[in-house]
Amino acid sequence: MSRKRGRLQVIHDILKAIQERDGKIRPTHILYKSNLSPQMMNEYLKELISKEFISENKTKRGKTYSLTYKGFEYIHKYKLIVDFVDSFGLS
Amino acid sequence: MVHLPIVPEWFLGYDIILELAFAIITLIVSIYAFKIYKLSGQRQSKFFGIAFLFISIAYFIQSFLNFVILSKLNENICRGLKIASVNFLNSIGIYAYIIFFGIGLITLTYMTLRIKSAKIYSLLLIIILLSFLSSSNTLYLFYLLSSVLLIYIFIHYLMNYLKNKQAKTLLVLVAFAFLLFGSIHFIFSVNHGLYYVIGHFLELIAYLFILINLILVVKK
Repeated sequence: MSRKRGRLQVIHDILKAIQERDGKIRPTHILYKSNLSPQMMNEYLKELISKEFISENKTKRGKTYSLTYKGFEYIHKYKLIVDFVDSFGLS
Repeated sequence: MVHLPIVPEWFLGYDIILELAFAIITLIVSIYAFKIYKLSGQRQSKFFGIAFLFISIAYFIQSFLNFVILSKLNENICRGLKIASVNFLNSIGIYAYIIFFGIGLITLTYMTLRIKSAKIYSLLLIIILLSFLSSSNTLYLFYLLSSVLLIYIFIHYLMNYLKNKQAKTLLVLVAFAFLLFGSIHFIFSVNHGLYYVIGHFLELIAYLFILINLILVVKK
């Protein structure tokens, strides 16, 4: 049985999906890659924008998302974050 | 009223070094927790950082206070502040230690409860800090309530270990078990000096485990 994905991992999956698309991705692709419900995905995207992990770009063809420096840093330090949070019981 | 703990004469000086070491270790943990908060925006890390920062300040105060009492500094400070006795200075220091350490433990307990309510957090702070300060035996009640809070924290880390059985989670669990035993020993230090010494050594083991865990996490 697979364990329920933690919040930190969901954020990591979204950011990784954005990174894999050269830093720019449409909401539909995020939905597909992150395996979340549309409502949950919107909540996560809002949170990630407010925490300045990603930025929203509005184009004629709709919205795209790109990673900020903080977003790249999160992916880079993900292992450290998870180890710290898990071992000190912060999850 | 503050009943001062009985400290064996041979231990004077060693306690200052140990408390300074605890202050530095808890400060390092706090800095890392804030770093993780900055990276992840994770709320629990922020509270963990705040808790350890307050605990660190409490140890710095305790260490400085014991240093002042042991050295000739106390006479100069009392003269400078126009305080009549060293005991008065000692009492102020102990109250400061109790308040800072108390806020640290309450914040840590609140973090483990996994609730998001400023009302509950402020209620915990007010009730516990007021009961410390209005007690007829402040230090005794402080150690007693600290032990109660540490029982809750220990249960949180026990559940964390059962959920995630790893060497690192076990290290943190054992560390908080030692902190709990240390706190229980401090309850008796109000009457017996030996318990004050044992309490310090139990805390030393606890903080070394926390430091080892941090090093393992960072070095990976």
